Amino acid sequence: MRYGLVLTEKQAIELVETRFFALKETGRIEFGGGVIDKIIYEFCDSPYISMHNYEETLHDLIEMFYYYKNETLDLISDDDLISYMKNAFDGKCRGSLELLSGRELYKLAHNLRYGYSADDEEGEDGEY
Amino acid sequence: MESIDKISRIDRSKLSGEYYFQSLLEQAYHCGLLLDSDLERIQFDCLSILAKQTESYNSGDSSSIRIETAQNILVSVMYTIGMCLKTYTNPDDAVIALQNEKMETLFEEGRRQIDRMVNTTKILHSNIIQHLVDTQNVFYRSTVVDAIRGFFKLYYPEFGAQEIHITGDYPTCNGVSDLAGVEFIRKYLENIYCENTFCACFPVENIHHLLCGYHEDYQNLLFNIYEPVLTSALGCALVDKDIRALELSFFDITYLDRLFKNTDKSEIESILRQVLDKVKQALSLSDNLMNYLNDSISRIATDIWNSSRTHTTDKVFVIPYYPENDPFVSFSYGEKMDNDRYRKLVEEIMQCNMTEDKIMIIKEEINSFADFADILLDAEFSSVEIPEVLKLLNPVELAALAKKYPYQNDLEMLDMKENERLLCNCLKKFVNSLTNEEQKWIERMVKLLKLKEE
Repeated sequence: MRYGLVLTEKQAIELVETRFFALKETGRIEFGGGVIDKIIYEFCDSPYISMHNYEETLHDLIEMFYYYKNETLDLISDDDLISYMKNAFDGKCRGSLELLSGRELYKLAHNLRYGYSADDEEGEDGEY
Repeated sequence: MESIDKISRIDRSKLSGEYYFQSLLEQAYHCGLLLDSDLERIQFDCLSILAKQTESYNSGDSSSIRIETAQNILVSVMYTIGMCLKTYTNPDDAVIALQNEKMETLFEEGRRQIDRMVNTTKILHSNIIQHLVDTQNVFYRSTVVDAIRGFFKLYYPEFGAQEIHITGDYPTCNGVSDLAGVEFIRKYLENIYCENTFCACFPVENIHHLLCGYHEDYQNLLFNIYEPVLTSALGCALVDKDIRALELSFFDITYLDRLFKNTDKSEIESILRQVLDKVKQALSLSDNLMNYLNDSISRIATDIWNSSRTHTTDKVFVIPYYPENDPFVSFSYGEKMDNDRYRKLVEEIMQCNMTEDKIMIIKEEINSFADFADILLDAEFSSVEIPEVLKLLNPVELAALAKKYPYQNDLEMLDMKENERLLCNCLKKFVNSLTNEEQKWIERMVKLLKLKEE
């Protein structure tokens, strides 16, 4: 309740279902509690999240997380990816999930796949 | 008194060597040695090991993993447990271990077992490397030495104990099947060791001549060396010749052809097994090696049976061939002119508009085959001009050029320079335009020629 963000039991179950769906869609398997709690802790103090978009944002972030675990070829740890997502979401994306997924995480995946540093602004092909 | 074996309720022949753990579970369940509750516990324990291995695989950095990777790790876990279960001589005892021991314990014991096997296999490999068959066959060395080294470099039993990584191109006479991981490599190397030990009984040059008889280009052929050697040794024993010489004649093969004519496979096998004792005594072979040779007999008997039906016994019992005794024609390239003069000559030819003028210069200025071959490449002749220039050559020179620039397929020509590719194509077309007799003569001459560059 520290940031005024609360999830009901039903909403929490739906988040678990989204995680299950995302894992299935991305062809991944997970042991243990997963990353939902880590995402919740990381994003709880974001100025762009309030009660009215809290649940929806969490669903999108969970899907995005597993999708980009694959796209980054598992080259980045869970904690680093969540932290990158948070910084980009609060910073360059100004709370836009579309920009986070379509630009910042896409760029991260590209950089990691081609051996550039994660925050390299311009790849070799000058795409950015 | 014969040894007494404990009766096993599980049929050993139904157990897989590659998937031992899974097949043991299946058979034990069918025999009623394992219940549904046992299977459920084993499954749960295996998943717990998978979870631990996954965490270790991700170094604690990631809680999820791709399904394919997890499947691979699970197969590795089951293979490792299987390695532990294989140490029980009776499958029933292995099932008792499954009931009483924790999967984690069996997994750890399996890992130790794999580590031990990797170490002993490395020692076996270094021993084999020290006693390789001295042969020019490229696949033998590249597989037995380099590929196996590659396996040890890539093998990581913690997460991929069942992986083989290499293809093991060089085949052994007695095949290796129903094994995986380090067990496969160990069995493959044991076979190679036996084959090497047998081949070491014969002088290197005798094996070389025998293999030349098998195929003149045996150096680049993917085949097993030991098999023709053993077959020839058996043939020599059958015709009462010196086994070590491996020298069967045409008359010996005619005799062998008559001997095996109208005999069935089992009869051939029994003849070969009888004569194998003679080989054993002549070469002082150990009992261990004899077991391997005995296993090879059935394959050789099948080959002989097939060959006697198709009248190709000479393809199984090989007559040695001595390529050093072949006649050859020595061809000298002659001396090259000095570079300045050559450069001026190339420029002069390139400045000529008419082909006749170019040919005139070549006739007047070029006195050696070495310069002629260079000019063909450097003077930028067109595909129309090259055949005209080639007409200047006599048949031996044409054969020498065909040997220097043998016709290759499009794929092989990719590595060649454009002018070389053009010359090869034009030369091929030019030779094809000659009469059949002339083409055959050139073909024979290409084989006999030995080119000497000054």
